[in-house]
Amino acid sequence: MAAAMPNPLEPIRVVFDTLGSSIKVLPAIGGVAEDLVRPEQEETDDALIHRQINKVTEFAETPEPDLQHIYRPTPPLFRPENHYFRYFIDGSFRTYFLGTGVETGRSFPIMLAQIGAAVIRREDDGRLHVLAHENRLLLLVPAKGEGLSDTVWQRLRDINLPSNFRLVDYLQPDPLTEGHKDSRDKANGKVRAETHQLEVDLIATTDGHRNNSKWLILDGATKISEFIQAPYLIGVAKAFSKQPEFQFGGQKRKQDISMLLAGLPHCCRTVAFKAYDGQVAFWYVRMREQNQVGYPLMGVVKVELPCPDKKPVSSELADLISLALVAERSVCPYGVDKRWHCCIYPIYMAEQVIKTGFYSKEVLLGAVKWPTTQGGFRA
Amino acid sequence: MPEDREEQPVIGRTSATDKSPSYSDSFSFWLGENVIVNPFDIVEVDQVKHGGGKSTTWGLVTILDHWTDSPNHLANYISSNFGELSEVPNTPRQGTTVAHVNVLSNDADIYMPVLSDRLVRFATPEGVEKALGIRDMAKKDRVPAGLIKMSNGTNCVAYIDRRYVLGPLSAHVNISGISGLATKTSYAMFLIQSILQSASEEDRAKIAVILLNVKQANLLQIDQEPDRKPTTEDMELWGALGLRPGKFEKVHYFLPRGDKGVANTFLPSVTGTVYAYDFQGAADKLDLLFADVPDTYSTLESILSEIREGVLSGDREFENIHSWDNLLNSPPIYDPNRKGDWRNIKASSLGVFRRHMRRMVKTLTSGVFVNSLSTTEKNLGRELARTLEGGHVYVVDIAKLRDHEQMLVFGDLLRSVYNLKSDEPPKERKGRPVPDKVIIFVDELNKYAPAGPRPSPLTERVIDIAERGRSLGVTLISCQQFASQAHERVVGNCATRVVGRTASSEVAHKTYNFLGEDIRNNVGRLISGELIMSHPVYRQPVKIIFPRPTYKVQEF
Repeated sequence: MAAAMPNPLEPIRVVFDTLGSSIKVLPAIGGVAEDLVRPEQEETDDALIHRQINKVTEFAETPEPDLQHIYRPTPPLFRPENHYFRYFIDGSFRTYFLGTGVETGRSFPIMLAQIGAAVIRREDDGRLHVLAHENRLLLLVPAKGEGLSDTVWQRLRDINLPSNFRLVDYLQPDPLTEGHKDSRDKANGKVRAETHQLEVDLIATTDGHRNNSKWLILDGATKISEFIQAPYLIGVAKAFSKQPEFQFGGQKRKQDISMLLAGLPHCCRTVAFKAYDGQVAFWYVRMREQNQVGYPLMGVVKVELPCPDKKPVSSELADLISLALVAERSVCPYGVDKRWHCCIYPIYMAEQVIKTGFYSKEVLLGAVKWPTTQGGFRA
Repeated sequence: MPEDREEQPVIGRTSATDKSPSYSDSFSFWLGENVIVNPFDIVEVDQVKHGGGKSTTWGLVTILDHWTDSPNHLANYISSNFGELSEVPNTPRQGTTVAHVNVLSNDADIYMPVLSDRLVRFATPEGVEKALGIRDMAKKDRVPAGLIKMSNGTNCVAYIDRRYVLGPLSAHVNISGISGLATKTSYAMFLIQSILQSASEEDRAKIAVILLNVKQANLLQIDQEPDRKPTTEDMELWGALGLRPGKFEKVHYFLPRGDKGVANTFLPSVTGTVYAYDFQGAADKLDLLFADVPDTYSTLESILSEIREGVLSGDREFENIHSWDNLLNSPPIYDPNRKGDWRNIKASSLGVFRRHMRRMVKTLTSGVFVNSLSTTEKNLGRELARTLEGGHVYVVDIAKLRDHEQMLVFGDLLRSVYNLKSDEPPKERKGRPVPDKVIIFVDELNKYAPAGPRPSPLTERVIDIAERGRSLGVTLISCQQFASQAHERVVGNCATRVVGRTASSEVAHKTYNFLGEDIRNNVGRLISGELIMSHPVYRQPVKIIFPRPTYKVQEF
């Protein structure tokens, strides 16, 4: 007897039943349509998150950097010599358009998302293990009168749902939904914010394990709406906003980020810059030779170090972080990820752990059924 | 399910993907950390069962491959900082070794594909026996054919079914592999010893063995203790197989007559019956001498036929032909006064025949052809037919004979045994029972039954034995370096095929298709003493080892 695969989404079927019988639903063509992530999304998000950082005027490093020496050499410090980064966190998501809901003249997209985050621990010999991993399903609908009526929204909220399923109002403001006018863009922003929050939640699984010789790398920014307070972690962004301009004390002209990074030599970092009144120190590290990549800003990552006490980072620590970071260029997912030139491989692995835990489109297509007025179901 | 099933450590999990699914006859599994698995290991995995519960599926590992998440080699090069050899991978690339398995059997006869993510273990010895179908063999039919040794140290005797080796269900064993590894002949001799030892005393007395010694004095001392004691490993192997190491008993040697009337052998000290061929005794076998002579228009065949019929029917033209000299120098073959054809055969064709015949029995002979036999010289075929007895071993030495003589001897031997088993026993046996089973061992089978569209008379005789031997109780155990060079109807009729180390170009030939592509790739890696065996009872070929012979072997 073959082991028949049960519908993994059976426990949430009641949500679709309730929603489909309360409002009119025009299903997406093909039942479920995946919303693909735009390639520049990460950069756009960084710009949205750090919209306040338009002009950088102060350093966040001690001793105070010399304007003539804003690049510091950081040759790779490999794991066998100093196994500095032990933990890696990444989040990932997939968003699907399920259909258009229509309720008393209001129409809005109904979205479903699979989000996940994973923490990877690296052993002294380099082997990787999953320390924590959590995947969730989100049903995203607009509420508060602009989408679902209060009654239907409440009806949905009253359903007893499994812990890995959440009902999310994508009109609730947060940094990644603001600025978007299109409802689907708002929903997508909400999904990214929820994913980032899940990553932040999983940082706790490394509490007690991190110390000054066992650091954690978080993929992306260390701030969404709130600052991360946890010690011994950095955020590493593969793509980042190109908006900031740099102008320090004695300089007459502003320098844009492209000029700053075009001059950044291989295996070097910039000095640390101050953001959010010193709560975050950030700098850039060039991991790869410019002539090995197609564009001067490729092979450069942005490092964010939370500084809850607003104290500048010591050059020694920023150097050490950067040395260890440069060594993370090997191995890389060349050929399978366009961002290979600045990928941290264990972060990429965390992403694979999450994605292999996602339901396939075929499963979703089979599981998402809307009730028909005739009492049957339609895809 | 075996009781000790859960005690076997888990070595991996089955894996089915969208591009590499599990099938009814194969599945794959990834290996856990530090697990060592090799081709030919036998593994077991849970399968569903009628009415719930679990059944067990066993499989044979055929090949292993290592996978990483790198899409190509260039990605690895770039990943190492664009070919920087000193770059240390901070995180080793994720990868796993995947073992591919051919399904052997399921204890509930369920051949649905094995599901993904099932735990995989090495098979227990009991599991191996079930997997191969050994448990279904009656104990009296089990013949130890070697030891299966798995990577985790598990050993299991590979029993083959006597009924598929000696008949009646099937018969014959063919062994191939490159020479120089002292494996093919050693294995054949081991197998014969095993067949004899594993038979009951009563059955053993009904099995006669005929061995052809084709190399030096290889098989001329099989009834003597070896000069050197067997190694501890060999003794352990004999013990593990449940067999006794030792020499052969009740051995008789047949030695060819040489130029000076004494035995023509590489080991002058050996004593035995000297055999020779006079014309009268060989008249009906002359075709065997011509096996290697081209005869496009069958002219030589016509002459041979006329001679055979003439001699056997007492034709007047042949009444004075009693010796090779008579044949070559007197009418009807040589008649200087004859004008025109003889029985529609041109004089020039008779001349060709005569030249060939003279070359074979006069000019280029080792001395085995005589005009008349002495009292101590015997006609091999007749002597075998008269004396062949169950429980005895007969070694026919042909090592020093020329090629055409070897063909005559082998063909004579086959014909005598065939006739003995298929016709009324000759009166000379005086009522002694004909052996139920006769095992004939011959090396260099490709010489006697070469591949090709037009089989020679000798090849046809070998084919006859191969095709009808199982019903007659005649078993051919044959060896050759290249099975592709032996006649496919002979090799194809060998139910048990054994392959030692063989070059990849050779195993690419269709005669090795029974191994399957993955297993063929392993053949080149076999070492001395290792063989791959295919047997009708087994669902897949297995790798075996066997002990060295413990009789005296001539050392060079």
